[in-house]
Amino acid sequence: MRLGFNFTLGDTYDMVQRLIAERHIDYCEFLIDNFFCVDPNELAKAFDCPIGLHIMYSKFLEADRPMLVDFAARLRDYIDALNPIYVSDHILRFSHEGRAFFHLGEIDYSAEYEFVRDRVLQWQEIVGQRIHFENYPSIMDGGREAPAFFERLMKETGAGVLFDASNAVCSNRNCGTPFEAWRNVIAGAQHFHVAGYRNSLIEPFISLDTHAEALAPDTLAFLENFRSVFDKPGATMTYERDDQIEFDDIVADLKLLRNLFGEPEERRHDLALSA
Amino acid sequence: MLSLPSRTDRDLYPALMSPVLCANYPTDHKAFVRIDVSLRIYWHTLFDICPELLELSGPDGMSIFRPFMAWAGEKKLAFDWSYYLWVYVWLRQSPFKDRLLADDKYLRSIMAASAARWAILDRGRDCGIVIGCADTKNLVIGWKCRSVRLGREIELIEPEEPLPAPPDIFGYFTLQSFELDIFPGWQSLAR
Repeated sequence: MRLGFNFTLGDTYDMVQRLIAERHIDYCEFLIDNFFCVDPNELAKAFDCPIGLHIMYSKFLEADRPMLVDFAARLRDYIDALNPIYVSDHILRFSHEGRAFFHLGEIDYSAEYEFVRDRVLQWQEIVGQRIHFENYPSIMDGGREAPAFFERLMKETGAGVLFDASNAVCSNRNCGTPFEAWRNVIAGAQHFHVAGYRNSLIEPFISLDTHAEALAPDTLAFLENFRSVFDKPGATMTYERDDQIEFDDIVADLKLLRNLFGEPEERRHDLALSA
Repeated sequence: MLSLPSRTDRDLYPALMSPVLCANYPTDHKAFVRIDVSLRIYWHTLFDICPELLELSGPDGMSIFRPFMAWAGEKKLAFDWSYYLWVYVWLRQSPFKDRLLADDKYLRSIMAASAARWAILDRGRDCGIVIGCADTKNLVIGWKCRSVRLGREIELIEPEEPLPAPPDIFGYFTLQSFELDIFPGWQSLAR
């Protein structure tokens, strides 16, 4: 399992360089559309490691085709310059009746399957690339339908799933989605996310995917119980931290992940050579 | 007991941006907490970025937040990058008007917040946005991230030769390069 860190804006640049230099991470994931005004060649030279590209605001379920074509044309420049390990995006709602959510909305998996499937096919065709779609940290009970939705989506569109393990933990805590229900999705996925979560401020508590805390014991237990399903040749796991960014805390979590999954195959090869 | 549909997030979409609709849900139900989480983010997006506004409203911000959100719902505001500017438009016709206009720190903070929100959320090809206001000759510019080592940048400009005032309270124009070298005229805020 290769470990990575999410790079969303320049203020963590020096920290990410240090994570790479000290070999706490093996690759870096750009939140790529935050950097659409940066020269692709500058981004390609930014970090001496493989790169993943994570899309935040394509809004491919809501945007019209000309907007998506324009977005994809710019994205393509970065794909060509950075030759990423993967390109990923989100299946969620950014707005309702033209009004923006500030806490993004989950789709209705049973009522919207066909619509989403067609949009996924269109979006992959426009980008000219297989895309890995991230699962949502479900709150409401409809989230229990997510595993079957993603399994079917992978089968019918050729898309991948960017499986966010801590989102699945939130979904388990909030609406009881069994971890076991994700087994086939995890087995079919190569690229993963993991992060901390916290409880809501008021009761009945719900768990929120905040990217601001240490990995929770139940997240680590989930990874441990499904370790052999997660780990596979070429697999990546991005540790996400968007707030409370403290180097030592991040390294402590990365060490837990490294202890769990071991050195990636490529790194074991490097270590053998240097020994 | 909850008589409203709440199986999915989708059942709650209208309430996720409406304190009025939130009140229809029992406080001990998960749906209420889910809506509360959403509404808190609208609150924090406003007051964490423009904390000066709490001087007007009092520490919980609710005397601004609740009526503004209700007004925004009636006007069907898009809650895009101009979210803060619309708060100013509402404040200007509220009981807070005199205190608002007595100190331009509120306007500076609000214009900078909207410029920053454009710079982080807009996915068009433009590099920058210039925001002007009929209540000041100063301009605020938001620049998108232009280097891997930088974030978005916000500038306050006090032009020697002021631009004409926007026809509405606010106007804006966008820049296709990282230079402020044009004035194509003001665009009005979209709702």
